[in-house]
Amino acid sequence: MLKNYFKIAIAVLKRRKFFTFISLFGISFTLTILLVMTAFIDKVVNDNYPDKKRDRSLYISRIELRGKESMNSSGLSYSYISRYVNKMKTPVKIAISSGFGSTNTYVNNRKIVINYKYTNTDFWDVLDFEFVEGKPISKQQTDNAERVTVISEDMKKEYFGDDNSPAVGKYIEADNIKYRVCGVVKSLPITSYLLYSDIYLPITTSKTKLDADKGYMGGYGAIVLAKNTGDVEKMKKEYAGIVAKLPIPGKEWDHIYSHADSYIEGYVRTGNEKSSGMVYAFTAITLFALFVMLLPTLNLVNVNITRIMERSSEIGVRKAFGASSKTLVYQFIVENLILTFLGGIIGVVLSVVVMYFINDAQFIANLNLSLNFTVLGYAILTCIFFGLLSGVYPAWRMSKLNIVTALKAQ
Amino acid sequence: MFKHLFKMIWNKKKQNSLLIVEILLSFMVIFAVFSFALNSYSNYAKPMGFNYDKVWAISYNHTLETTNPDSVTLVYQTLLRNIKSMPLVVDASYHSGNVPFSNNHSTTGLTQKGVQVTGINDFFTDENYVSTTGTKMLSGRWYNKTDAITKSTVIVINNTLKEKLFGKADAVGKMLGDNPKTRQKIIGVIADIKNDGDYQVAAPALYNRHDTSAYKWMGKILVKVSPEADAAFEGKLYKLMAGSLKKSNIEIEHLDNKLTAYNKFTLVPLIILSIVAAFLIINVALGIFGVLWYNINKRRGEIGLRRAVGAPGAAVSAQLVYEALILATLSIIIGAFFAVQFPLLNVFDLPASVYLFAMLFAMIFIYLLVLVCSLYQGKQAAAIYPAVALHEE
Repeated sequence: MLKNYFKIAIAVLKRRKFFTFISLFGISFTLTILLVMTAFIDKVVNDNYPDKKRDRSLYISRIELRGKESMNSSGLSYSYISRYVNKMKTPVKIAISSGFGSTNTYVNNRKIVINYKYTNTDFWDVLDFEFVEGKPISKQQTDNAERVTVISEDMKKEYFGDDNSPAVGKYIEADNIKYRVCGVVKSLPITSYLLYSDIYLPITTSKTKLDADKGYMGGYGAIVLAKNTGDVEKMKKEYAGIVAKLPIPGKEWDHIYSHADSYIEGYVRTGNEKSSGMVYAFTAITLFALFVMLLPTLNLVNVNITRIMERSSEIGVRKAFGASSKTLVYQFIVENLILTFLGGIIGVVLSVVVMYFINDAQFIANLNLSLNFTVLGYAILTCIFFGLLSGVYPAWRMSKLNIVTALKAQ
Repeated sequence: MFKHLFKMIWNKKKQNSLLIVEILLSFMVIFAVFSFALNSYSNYAKPMGFNYDKVWAISYNHTLETTNPDSVTLVYQTLLRNIKSMPLVVDASYHSGNVPFSNNHSTTGLTQKGVQVTGINDFFTDENYVSTTGTKMLSGRWYNKTDAITKSTVIVINNTLKEKLFGKADAVGKMLGDNPKTRQKIIGVIADIKNDGDYQVAAPALYNRHDTSAYKWMGKILVKVSPEADAAFEGKLYKLMAGSLKKSNIEIEHLDNKLTAYNKFTLVPLIILSIVAAFLIINVALGIFGVLWYNINKRRGEIGLRRAVGAPGAAVSAQLVYEALILATLSIIIGAFFAVQFPLLNVFDLPASVYLFAMLFAMIFIYLLVLVCSLYQGKQAAAIYPAVALHEE
């Protein structure tokens, strides 16, 4: 039966090449846009380099003070982390790092912009950086405030040139201080801004005294790692309990907000408690997807109706010989799904090409889009959705066709 | 004749309604793209307001160990004097963190005669600012050494803020703000600076003369250098900064590079939106083309009959073109109803003229699109031989 439908579908496709082209063009280009978008979101949100232990980590990166008229939101101070976050009992490890700052260095009359980040020892245990050479900063080096650094592969290339000689042991100058390179890691795209940096320095070498600032706000963030995934919820509650008991630092404030977030929650947090980043991001993406899909779908419906009406004699004959409306609707939807899947295959090919160009142009350094199984899964879902949406209404109109008029039309 | 055409359209309302919805949606898409593009262009056409070429922004943070305010002031004043005395430096001035083209914004609000204005950029800088950035004073004067460096009672505002508060009248000499305790006298009006890049509108702004305690938190020095300044010179400037503020993190950025980076925030979404819209429109155009083509094929009998009773080819093709244009007009009327809500409700705070022009352009675009699609089909219809068409029937 299905084989027959398939044959009919192909025959119909061949009959009106222009219509086939319109349908396939609409489907494939819409799918390409959606696929590239999903690949991008998937890369930004789901790429687990270097935080492979994401499922048992929580990210504490912001604190917000709110009063009647004023609002202040920023990263955490080091003293806040050592006074409150470090006192938590559930986490097995707590990675602390500063947000990335930038500085310049001048090598051979050439200017290089360096992003730097201060990290503690646990940072290297919680995160699984891929070391191209050397090793992470050790606990002893951190304790002694040794001037060592882990640099990214890109920085190595930019600072030491393109030759493949090892960088470990060489010195890199940043902020007027020379640091000895002890490791080189695979670079991150800037979209993972919580962890991105060109050089990672021991937290103890920070130029400002770590606990000089006794306030809550500062430039640091923490990642707390639970023993197992079951403990994550407990860790979240424990932190919420700590925040609830925080003394309020001034009379202009009446609320303190700070959360231990999962990666995605933390990524989309806007820094404003009143508007949830999750809702905002979700609405924006859905609206865009609907906007992109609505027009081609309408177009498909239009074209499909036209095509079906062209086949009114075929339908009339089949009806006259006793085919039920249900069979006809079923047949048409199957035909339409076959068409969408054909468009889908073209769409997947097109999106691979587009992704290749995006990667090649390096719009965002180190962000390489790829087609993986998640994205392909989305593609198939979109295809089915498309096929049904654009097939059901024309099929319903077709099944309502009167036999006599259908036959007379010829 | 129009009555007749409407009747024909009404007879096929089911098919036509889908087509109308499609044209309506493409009208809205084009309207959105044109609004965005026109707004960006009208902002781009306005002058930048200052000469950002060869202006560098040095970032520092306050890490001096001394807490004595006099020695803090002395260190920073000496530093600025040393920078200015370097060869190739034209001028230099301290500035708060919200230098042009940075993501750092600091805004405030004020009430003037009961009118509240919010989202005013709050800049803190010194008497060298105008000569460093080359901004023009429209009226009044900029700060000079005689203005008290402590609690400031005078202020400079930009042109946008002046127009919001005083309209066409001169603002120099008037008092700013309703609160008698904090009100300041306006001594000058400065030209607008497009602080957020080429494609964003200049926001209202206050330029405060910083006091001596501000050195601790301002965090930026703007330096205008002569065209010969290269990386080697920048290295020297860097060493001077690092030597004077030993524990501070220093970064030197070039405003022209920052502008390029900042412009991307506006341009990249516009480019993506245009590409997507272009594909949508091609899609819709092909769709309309297909549907019209089918309609004509179905009406061969009718067309053949008209030709047989003596209608010239031009009249037949004109009928089809008119029909398509009436469909487009119906969609545009509905579309315009939605589109006109944007300026009426002041969504997104864009000037009404941008929306109106965007509507006009979208309208022209849709008519052209439908015209091109239907002209070809009309020509095909005109070529139908009555004998052949009627024979088929």
